[in-house]
Amino acid sequence: MAGFSRPSEKRKARAACLAFFFFAAFIAACTSPPPPPAASAPAGWFTEGAKETGLDFVHFNGMSGEFYYPEIMPPGVALFDYDNDGDLDVFVVQGQMLGSKPLGAAKPQPVGSLNSRLFRNDLKSGTLHFTDVTAASGIVTHGYAMGVATADFNNDGCVDLYVTALGPNQLFRNNCDGTFTDVSKASHTDDAGWSISATFFDYDRDGYVDLFVGNYVDYSVAANRQCFSLSGSLDYCPPHVYRAAPSHLYHNNRDGTFTDVTAKAGVSREYGPALGTIAADFNGDGWPDLYVANDGQPNQLWINQRNGTFSNTALLAGAALSPEGEAKSSMGIDAGDFDNDGDDDLFITELTGQGHDLYVNDGTGTFEERSARSGIRLSSLPFTGFGAGWIDIDNDGWLDVVTVNGAVTQNVEAIARNQPFSLQEKKQVFRNLGNGQFEDATKAAGSAFAVPEVSRGLAFGDIDNDGDLDMVVGNDSGPLRLLINNVGNRKHWVGLRLVLGGPEKAALRDAVGARVAVTASDGRTLWRRAHTDGSYASARDPRVLVGLGDASGPVKVRITWPDGRVEEKSNVPIDRYTTIK
Amino acid sequence: MCRSIATRPSSSVRLQPDVRLKAVATIPIAIVIALAFAACSSKPEAPKPSPTYTLRKVTLPDLSHAAPSVQQQLRDGYTALQKKVDGSATPPEELGAAYGQMGMLLMAAEYRGEAESALLNAQTFSPRDPRWPYYLGHLYKLKGDAANSIAAFSRALELQPDDVPNLIWAGEGNLDQGKPDAAQPLFAKALSLQPRSVAAQFGLGRVALAKQEYAHAVEYLEKALLLDPLATVIHYPLAMAYRGLGDQAKAQAHLALRGTLALKPDDPLMRRVDALLNSALAYEASGADALDRGDFKGAADSFRKGIEVAPKEPSLHHKLGTALALLGDGRGAVEQFEQAIRLDPYFVKAHYSLGVIQASTGQASAAIRHFTAALKAEPGYVEARLQLAHALRRGGQPDAALPHYAEIVKADARVPEARFGYAAALIQLRRYADARDYLTEAMRVYPNELAFANALARVLAAAPDDRVRDGRRAASLIQPVVAQVRARDILETMGMAQAELGQFTEAVTWQREAIAAAEKIGERGIAQRITDNLKLYESRKPCRTPWRSDEPIEFQPTGGPQAIQSPNL
Repeated sequence: MAGFSRPSEKRKARAACLAFFFFAAFIAACTSPPPPPAASAPAGWFTEGAKETGLDFVHFNGMSGEFYYPEIMPPGVALFDYDNDGDLDVFVVQGQMLGSKPLGAAKPQPVGSLNSRLFRNDLKSGTLHFTDVTAASGIVTHGYAMGVATADFNNDGCVDLYVTALGPNQLFRNNCDGTFTDVSKASHTDDAGWSISATFFDYDRDGYVDLFVGNYVDYSVAANRQCFSLSGSLDYCPPHVYRAAPSHLYHNNRDGTFTDVTAKAGVSREYGPALGTIAADFNGDGWPDLYVANDGQPNQLWINQRNGTFSNTALLAGAALSPEGEAKSSMGIDAGDFDNDGDDDLFITELTGQGHDLYVNDGTGTFEERSARSGIRLSSLPFTGFGAGWIDIDNDGWLDVVTVNGAVTQNVEAIARNQPFSLQEKKQVFRNLGNGQFEDATKAAGSAFAVPEVSRGLAFGDIDNDGDLDMVVGNDSGPLRLLINNVGNRKHWVGLRLVLGGPEKAALRDAVGARVAVTASDGRTLWRRAHTDGSYASARDPRVLVGLGDASGPVKVRITWPDGRVEEKSNVPIDRYTTIK
Repeated sequence: MCRSIATRPSSSVRLQPDVRLKAVATIPIAIVIALAFAACSSKPEAPKPSPTYTLRKVTLPDLSHAAPSVQQQLRDGYTALQKKVDGSATPPEELGAAYGQMGMLLMAAEYRGEAESALLNAQTFSPRDPRWPYYLGHLYKLKGDAANSIAAFSRALELQPDDVPNLIWAGEGNLDQGKPDAAQPLFAKALSLQPRSVAAQFGLGRVALAKQEYAHAVEYLEKALLLDPLATVIHYPLAMAYRGLGDQAKAQAHLALRGTLALKPDDPLMRRVDALLNSALAYEASGADALDRGDFKGAADSFRKGIEVAPKEPSLHHKLGTALALLGDGRGAVEQFEQAIRLDPYFVKAHYSLGVIQASTGQASAAIRHFTAALKAEPGYVEARLQLAHALRRGGQPDAALPHYAEIVKADARVPEARFGYAAALIQLRRYADARDYLTEAMRVYPNELAFANALARVLAAAPDDRVRDGRRAASLIQPVVAQVRARDILETMGMAQAELGQFTEAVTWQREAIAAAEKIGERGIAQRITDNLKLYESRKPCRTPWRSDEPIEFQPTGGPQAIQSPNL
């Protein structure tokens, strides 16, 4: 400021300028832009960490502009402990080129080799890290792989792999030394149809897991049909363009081979284009039943007749169709006791506009569809869901649901913007409020859930052994995702590894199909099941992890083993894993 | 920096220095007050004298992937819109209509983002036109955006409270939200406005089911079925309602009758959108919808339009042929099926359809040729193989039919008709012992299919081979069948069984009842023929001809789920 000659003038001038500054500040306050963001919010329930931990894999679906139907269906993923070192390893299937075009015609080009991959979890070294051990394992998948199922089919204590495919499926026997042997032909399980999901379960309770293979449609690349959108642009076909292919049930002969008992067991009389499959004791009689989700045709609920045969009761049970009587698309599926009433309820993912399903079991294998009433239907309408499962994210004792999504038909507007393979969608989380209601909690789940991808396979397991369930997601023509749970272990939990087998440790195997009732110190009883199947074309951790909330005392455990024996254990410690034989 | 600023408007008074400083000191405060008032005031601006519209930009997306006919249609539509928009004197109503028309076209072509913009603009220009929020409701529904869909339908209802389709869609939206109590009055109002609306009645039934009010659900859903017995999808929720009441028998009975076609309200506005797009697939889809509704003429018209756009699309010719066949124009149907085959010699459905028509008109050789062609192109085509087997057997070649029936039985256990056909071929070949054994096994696999019990009983009662006949077993098999179904052929079988047991008086009674049953349904020719057996029984002689040479041995399904659904159009 220039030349004021007197101190009083100086003071007045200062006052004036101060007033000006106040004025400026006042105006700034009244018309200010939004305040800067607060210090960074909590990370969300899950953090994505595939690449950082060495799970560096991108699925290749071979798309080349021909819109071959199989391009939109894989990949499944598996979490299993192949080397018996107490942590979960990862297996993911890979695609191939389809048709007669050369590899160079694919867009995008493959990243890495065109073989499915096995990643060993090196957790025992102290940090979560994975090493690609595919080459050392000897696993070579030949065809266009779709999904995977896991179990110890020969009871040697080492978990084996069954890879479903367009073309002959492959059974890889774990040699218990880090390697696998392809025993597909020798075992007679090289089902040649287009298989998506498979379920290992001991349907005759003889101590050896049998195998149900869900086949989709009668398809060959040579007979691929061209389908179009309403505006005439080329697109992927819907399933009804092809005929459903029959699924197969294989009985384990206990000598490394299986016998196709599909007709004998009565499961050939009705079938549809099978996508999701899961085994559970739905009617509480102690024998495992089988639920098959079919694409666009009624689902099947095969109730075990306890004599080697099954009877489909889905229609009368209220679990075959929507409440309006329509057959929905039914991709992913899981069975779990979301209302803690002692029986397994069903959650199934559907197409955009259909809404996912929640079939609530009354304990007798009779269901009522309650997705609208529960709040699930409304939030799920914009999405096409695939992999899905019940998961107690925060270990409060109530099972939540996660779905991974991705469309099956092109978005014509995205095509117009030259975005090929425009099937991307975000993932979703539904939080169980404990009163039969769910809320869409996707925003709290973390930024990984907001990334739109073409997600298909989803496997659950405690990958870092910290007491909460993590997830691996298989994305079609996209990267593998590892979603680490940040919140579950803030509450109490109990981890159970239920095993069967002889006195030697080497012969121990997971008791797939065992049911367990955990009574917490607060008096609640929570039912869970040891299984590896469900979701979509994927396999999960067979260990049972039960959230206990704030109940801090040891628990009582009541186990119903696969052969029907019941056993009780008291004072099982919490916040750690316990092996029960 | 602190400049003097005159605070008194239009004043040119020169201020003394100390006054100037005072003025300087007061200026910031004054400005603060003035600007604070301006900036912080929330008073709305006074309305402008002429309307202004907040519009969304509507552009044409890249159409290069769309069919040429669709490209032209969208470009023409956009040009028409631009003309209206560019016209300086275009009234708002015309602008609304122009945007609305463009929105409908974009919606039909599945450009949903642009469609939304156009329809919102239409709504802006024509806020009293219920069509635009109605279409927005459907657009949001297609996107799975239930909240906006319900809001849009509600806006449309405010403008047109008595619109029945809108009431029903709004009711559906409330059911989606798990609010049956909110849905109920909407369906009820729709029904009061249109008492014959199956969709409204069905909606009320679904509301009751959602509320577990099973008795009411039965009442509403039974009424819905009475309104339209062909709406077979109703049987499933009705079965669930009976199940809720504990009536398993009725539940099962309704499950056996269920169909899969979705029940939608009669929606003229959406039909306009569905019929808008000039694309082969759009015409094919609307034609298929019309077929499902039983509107065969409408279906044929749609397929013809599709052919105009895509004359070389074999699927459209095949579908037109199907519609013509349903309209009774067999010749026209054949022409279209043949044209489909000319366009695509491997088009299996056309071969199949042609074979079916030829078989029904006695052209067995031609039918066999076409079924064989279908199988050559698609060996897994079960329906074609079944029809081929039938054509061979009925055409006097039962031995050639056998391997085809066997193939189906092996590949697909959902087809009891194939198993029956195999047995029928054995009977035609007079291999009665084999037929007996085969039918015995078939009964085990399909315990609910009475056709197997009837056929086996007849073989046991009347086979010329003494080693095969077993009158007692025949009688025990046919008695429960007769108790359920008193059809002519079953009554005849009962007569045969009684005659084999030496109960000729009873056999005469049953045979007379069979003749009466045949005459009752106009089968006079058959009645005459089966009189021969009556004469046998009156002469106290048993029958030794299970089926006459001119009597077809055909499968009549009597229970269980349908084996195979017809190939989808």
